[in-house]
Amino acid sequence: MRIGQFAAGALASLICASALATEPLSSEELSVESMPPKGNHWVYVIDEAFYNEIDSRVRVFDGDTYRHLGQIDAGFNPGVIISPDGKTTAVTTTYFSRGGHGTRTDIVEFTDNSSLAIAGEIVLPTKRAQMQPTYFNLAYAPSGRFAYVAYITPALSFGVLDTANKKVVTEIDTAGCALVIPTGPSAVSSLCDSGRLLTVTLDGTGHEVSRALSDAFFNADSDPIFVQGIPAAGGYTFLSFNGQVYPIDFSGDKPVISSPWPLVNAAERGVWRPGGQQVGAINRRLGRLYVPMHRGGEETHKEGGTEIWVFDLDSHKRLERWPVSAEHLNPVIAIQVTQDDKPLLFTGGEDGTVAVWDAKAGHVRHTEKTLGQSPWFFLTP
Amino acid sequence: MNPIDRLFEKSSRSLAQRTARRGFLGLLGQVLTGSVLIPLLPIDRVNRAEAAPTKSGGAIGATPKSGSNDPQNCEYWKYCAIDGFLCSCCGGSSHSCPPGTTASPITWIGTCQNPGDGRDYIVSYNDCCGKTSCGNCECNRNEREKPLYRLSRNNDVNWCMANSDANYHCSVSVILGVSEK
Repeated sequence: MRIGQFAAGALASLICASALATEPLSSEELSVESMPPKGNHWVYVIDEAFYNEIDSRVRVFDGDTYRHLGQIDAGFNPGVIISPDGKTTAVTTTYFSRGGHGTRTDIVEFTDNSSLAIAGEIVLPTKRAQMQPTYFNLAYAPSGRFAYVAYITPALSFGVLDTANKKVVTEIDTAGCALVIPTGPSAVSSLCDSGRLLTVTLDGTGHEVSRALSDAFFNADSDPIFVQGIPAAGGYTFLSFNGQVYPIDFSGDKPVISSPWPLVNAAERGVWRPGGQQVGAINRRLGRLYVPMHRGGEETHKEGGTEIWVFDLDSHKRLERWPVSAEHLNPVIAIQVTQDDKPLLFTGGEDGTVAVWDAKAGHVRHTEKTLGQSPWFFLTP
Repeated sequence: MNPIDRLFEKSSRSLAQRTARRGFLGLLGQVLTGSVLIPLLPIDRVNRAEAAPTKSGGAIGATPKSGSNDPQNCEYWKYCAIDGFLCSCCGGSSHSCPPGTTASPITWIGTCQNPGDGRDYIVSYNDCCGKTSCGNCECNRNEREKPLYRLSRNNDVNWCMANSDANYHCSVSVILGVSEK
């Protein structure tokens, strides 16, 4: 015991002497970081915070350095979108005046992506669609001048927003069709239960000029399409519950709907299917489609993928099947890919794990357990 | 008029004063049609025969199957298209809201088969509103669930949307009647 005390005392003296022999740390200045220049492999992780939904948030994460770069608050059941020029993140959300209860304020908040500081807001009528994030809860016109926000009261309509003057311009009834898909320079399409697209064309002030319905292209009874569209060259691609792929070109004044093609062959149809909350991702440069797939019946359309299937968009051929268990992951509910030629794939698992994959090799490089409790929608800026 | 009929009637009226759209009328028609069937209901014997409750929600993304007699279990037959937290684990029951919350006047509708009598029942999945997320017994099942464009069959949207206190707390499954084949 005595020997122990002596040894401890001697060690303390040694440490003290050694500390005195070096220069002390210089004083620090408290500062606030600005955002670094945008990297090719950044991802915006939308955490719906399912177990405390009023506290959703967007985490900005670098898939190369694995650094958490910052956060944007997102309130309750948010929609999140990045402006066409990349400078702004817009979040549509709801706040309650007393935290978990009280008067409801529906809002679009704009965040400056160079600082992550709030850069303005538009207060909405209390009608915004409170639901899981998709690309179509809130959308920018290609010019960035207007934005569109989906309303459900439960009547379906949308608001046209003037992003420069931070004002609601008008509300447009969509006759039972849902969500806001930007079409061409100045039109908005919505998905209808009849299997059609409603497209409303706007004038230069954001008011309706005309509207048109497409032919029916899917059947909501026998094989509905997921509302989670996937950004693709010139438009969005939609997947159906049974694994049909519907590419739609939204770059012109009218949407052009291509013939569907299947993710599954005859033996796989009804056995393997896409599922989850963000059900596919496309790298436009490589022409690759990534889809989380699982075995299951019709009622399993929200189940996570046990495998990721990779398709070539030109030939429609399946190139790869990557079982996620081989990468020690739980089934995958959300998927996103970067747009460069050495892309990273991001997946969000049923257990909340975010995985960073090499999107060519099909191997996981890194996992994050605490990026969000329910990180099930990703944007790659 | 039973309490649930009164609830639907009162809340539907106030809602109708605020909205007048085709989508809403279609939805309202379904809800009201269901509500008048309530006095004719057979007794929910499976519910009464429940064993000691256990708290076990379904994993997010997984699809539990019907097979439990326990209303605190995601596999309980009435929950075949529920998505959220079970009110039976939050101070309510499979068909009642927890104290201090308010029931959503609008809802989505499903059909679930009761293995106890082999009958298909039409159920309404109401949300209980006005407090923050309960967080207990998360349950996500999607039999015949449809995307948002078929709103009356969709469980992704916040059905507390038309409540004056619109925060989502938990979900119940209320039997409206036997589904006639």
